[in-house]
Amino acid sequence: MTLPIRIKGFTNEVLSWKPWLDPVDVAAATPAQLAALDEMSPQARTSPYFLVLAHQPEMLLQRSIAFNAIMFAPGGMPRAERELGATVESRVNGCVYCASVHAQRFEQLAKRNDVISQVFEEPASAGTTSREKAIVEFSIRLGAEPDKVSAEDVRMLKEVGLTELEILDLIHSVALFAWANRLMLNLGEPVFPPATAAS
Amino acid sequence: MTTSYDSSSAVDVIDATVPLAPTQPTRMLRLQREKVVAATQGSYDAMFSSTVEGLSVAERLLVALHACGVSKAATLAAHYQDRLLAEGVDRELIAAVGSGVPVADARLRTVLAFTASLIERPIEGDKAAVQSLADAGLTTPAIVALGQLIAFLSYQVRVVAGLQALAAAEVSQ
Repeated sequence: MTLPIRIKGFTNEVLSWKPWLDPVDVAAATPAQLAALDEMSPQARTSPYFLVLAHQPEMLLQRSIAFNAIMFAPGGMPRAERELGATVESRVNGCVYCASVHAQRFEQLAKRNDVISQVFEEPASAGTTSREKAIVEFSIRLGAEPDKVSAEDVRMLKEVGLTELEILDLIHSVALFAWANRLMLNLGEPVFPPATAAS
Repeated sequence: MTTSYDSSSAVDVIDATVPLAPTQPTRMLRLQREKVVAATQGSYDAMFSSTVEGLSVAERLLVALHACGVSKAATLAAHYQDRLLAEGVDRELIAAVGSGVPVADARLRTVLAFTASLIERPIEGDKAAVQSLADAGLTTPAIVALGQLIAFLSYQVRVVAGLQALAAAEVSQ
């Protein structure tokens, strides 16, 4: 087993999340709440995060459909690169929990984590290839300064070989994590495993 | 609220605000991710649904206007301003919220302060901020609705910005 990455408060370890609001009691959940949870994932019924969001079932249902369509749709941008966009956005927003989850997914898909260490260390210069650097730069820009994104940014992505569908997938992935990070950061907090709680 | 949505012909809120013409290449590209298009409009409909309790539709539209102002998303801000006018919300209140002038109502002031903070500095979110909403009279489902709404607006702003860049790259080729 390789050592976990721990850089500037970010990690690729498995964290948990503690809500600041009471979650829905799954035993007393309405059919609409259960349908929204099941649309998200088979594990959502036991997740404090999704059980908090289940207070608004229609919002959770639509968000779950959007999430799965953006992150798992076939074709277009390779899934690992969508996870990279998500991890960069989470790093820039300071969402330690989201960054850990999507760093793990990147690693599962790409079978490496070199760029994850770079993103945690200094996102602005991260990327192991010109394509990866361009993806990271665009993710930072769209995440932090959406009003400044222009045709020039699109051209830079095309120059390193991204197709228009790949660019659209990246836009959706970064935008989705602008959404997810704000929920995770404002409705609760990450909990580190006991061995690293002091770090 | 379960209006059927035909993404192949109808122009949705994103198309209207970018704007994208029905047969424009960037819109054709967007339709390749049809599920995302439908769920984005579905999310918008859920965010402003009259069946959500504890935060009125007018309050949610004011949150949206403020979020778009803070995000410098002019075309989306214009969309929410039009909706507020259609709802019959006081013009002076719309103008104040649109330009970031503090409002008199304490509950709305708390909600808008939470909005600006979550849009601009999500990392600063803490338990005290959530408690301030509860103290202002928001129920737990209403706080979840507000959090989802502001987070969704962050998404919507970036989808519009990204599509505007794609459309601009299309005409400059």
